[in-house]
Amino acid sequence: MIIQSLDPRISRARLDDQSCDGQLSEHEHFETFEVFQQVKRGTHHQHVGSLHAPNPEMAILFAKEQYCRRGKSVNLWVVKTSDVFVTDYEDADIFETTEDKKYRDPEAYKVMDRINAYKARLNP
Amino acid sequence: MEFTQKHVLGLKELLYKMADDQLILGHRNSEWTGLGPMLEEDISFSSMAQDKIGQSLALFELLQELGESDPDTVAFTRNDNQFHCSQFVELPIGGYDFSLVRHFFFDHAEAIRFEMLADTVFEPLAMVAKKFKGEIKYHTMHADIFMKKLAEGGPESYGLIQQAINDNFGLALGIFEPGEYESELIEAGIFGGENALQSRWLAKVVPLLESFGYTVPKVENTAPALGGRKGIHTHHLQPLLDEMTEVFSIDPGADW
Amino acid sequence: MYGNAYIETDGSKVHSIIADEDPIKLALFEARIAAGDKIEPKDWMPKEYRKQLIRMIEQHGHSEIIGSLPEGTWITRAPGFRRKLALMAKVQDEVGHAQLLYSAAETLGKSREDMTNDLINGKSKYSNVFNYPAPTWADSAIIAWLIDAGAIVNQLANSKGSYGPYCRALERICAEESFHLKYGHDNVVFLATGTPIQRQMVQNALHRWWEPIMHFFGPPDKSSQHSEILMRWKLKMGSNDSMRQTFLAMYVPKIWDLGLTLPDPNLRKNEESGFWEYTEPNWEVFKQVINGNGPCNKERLAVRRMAEEKGRWVRKALMNQGAMYVSPLS
Repeated sequence: MIIQSLDPRISRARLDDQSCDGQLSEHEHFETFEVFQQVKRGTHHQHVGSLHAPNPEMAILFAKEQYCRRGKSVNLWVVKTSDVFVTDYEDADIFETTEDKKYRDPEAYKVMDRINAYKARLNP
Repeated sequence: MEFTQKHVLGLKELLYKMADDQLILGHRNSEWTGLGPMLEEDISFSSMAQDKIGQSLALFELLQELGESDPDTVAFTRNDNQFHCSQFVELPIGGYDFSLVRHFFFDHAEAIRFEMLADTVFEPLAMVAKKFKGEIKYHTMHADIFMKKLAEGGPESYGLIQQAINDNFGLALGIFEPGEYESELIEAGIFGGENALQSRWLAKVVPLLESFGYTVPKVENTAPALGGRKGIHTHHLQPLLDEMTEVFSIDPGADW
Repeated sequence: MYGNAYIETDGSKVHSIIADEDPIKLALFEARIAAGDKIEPKDWMPKEYRKQLIRMIEQHGHSEIIGSLPEGTWITRAPGFRRKLALMAKVQDEVGHAQLLYSAAETLGKSREDMTNDLINGKSKYSNVFNYPAPTWADSAIIAWLIDAGAIVNQLANSKGSYGPYCRALERICAEESFHLKYGHDNVVFLATGTPIQRQMVQNALHRWWEPIMHFFGPPDKSSQHSEILMRWKLKMGSNDSMRQTFLAMYVPKIWDLGLTLPDPNLRKNEESGFWEYTEPNWEVFKQVINGNGPCNKERLAVRRMAEEKGRWVRKALMNQGAMYVSPLS
């Protein structure tokens, strides 16, 4: 039966509600790309999400509109998701920094006490 | 140089045909929103349709400054014989093959037209042309990538696109139908003219399509679809306008 | 645009669901959530958590793509440049939201193709409201204002949920939907303060949409062990009734402020309790519609089938044989 729609676009399509099955086969919507947006020169590119695309050129076309249609951007990267190496959250303990790694931080170097004590010694 | 009355008429004619082309094509292409071949492309195509309508609004605003009615009145109350769009843009969206080929042909013509207008002596139009340069660049980038990839995509897609090129080349040539005041516009430095635009367009799209592997019909063997610029349209335009203005005309005096 | 997930609430199964899980992993998982930390895609998670998340995010994604259709009805007829551009952008955003949500669901292991097939085969649900027609321009204004308002209530709550990819998608979606809400309100205000024809149009549309809006947040809460677990896992961030209350408290005064009426004589704020009282909408109708018997269910799915079918040759041509699909990162 032809669908009579309130939407003129649909009526024009003369859509038979049984005319097609529309079933998708596996990976018919391609592979995914990760999108990195730079909003301003001098800043880092930031990961903003992913999208499906058949090739990198189109991934850029799509990323521009899906992720940058509002606000400012100056540059985009797209990377095939399958090309990204990631750590496991299970291995998050490798990032743990113990107390004794303080020597890497500026706060670990407090010399004023020593300087003041030295000055006090020189000029009692 | 001082603009004579003929210059102003020519300028208005130019602005009307550009604005009408963009409005009608933007309207047509908006029909794909929510119905495109994949979510990501749906979003891109909708943005480009919005750009077209935004560009037409900017041109209708220029016309208003030149003494014409406000953009809504102009866009939403005229009949088909008062429209100056080319017949190409008024045709229904058809399949994605037709919509893409129209997008490719039209947007390359528009890109060159705006490039030419960036130097127009009519300063407000030069500003508009410069303002939309980036938008149009994205449109042609999008069109080129799709045409190229569909040429490489096997016999079905290649065949569909090649057929759409053959069927629509004459319609595309209708974009360059000369107006009544071509020589005045050229002489005053307002616009370089439709003939110049067509030559530059051919020099751009023919080698490009050939580089993708398509063949392009010969201009000398193709009848351009003329008439649109003079208000002669296909039977598709009036129903489009009836639909577009359906709500607006419930109460044209109302603020919507 | 999404109200609440139509989650199966079968309390009897709950114990067996959890009994299957590794108690140590489960305890760590629950501790992480209790501490306000997010769960990320490759983390260990209970099977039921994954199942309910996929169901919820998928339903949400479907609601966006199907939700683009009732308003899309007016995309070629919007009156004037301002409305035409805004409606196009709004419908486009809904498609964009579907894209974001399907990606979030994909991180859990269900492909976009499978989700789409489940939608067009009628296996998955989506928000019931989108099975109703939008017969006038004012209907599209009511949808943009009030359905989006309802969706924001739900989505803001859910953006504080436990699953990282869903929260990130919702943050972006909520930011965009604040434009929808403003646009919808602006549109309704113009109609309500306009000519008598405009005012009548928006009043009629409001009456038509009131029951679907009341349905939007789902049936009244029945407390069950199942929903307790979903709350603990921060999958469900508010009860259906509490979201409905939040919506009524925020929007009924704004509707009345415009001098518009609502088709429920019992609707009022109980000043003592602070709660809004209303006539329960007909939940039998809700059940009928969600099971495929609403006025537009068939059309909505047929349109999606057509869209997929019409785009097939394009996708086929663009297919890259060497492509290697993996689920999106985050």
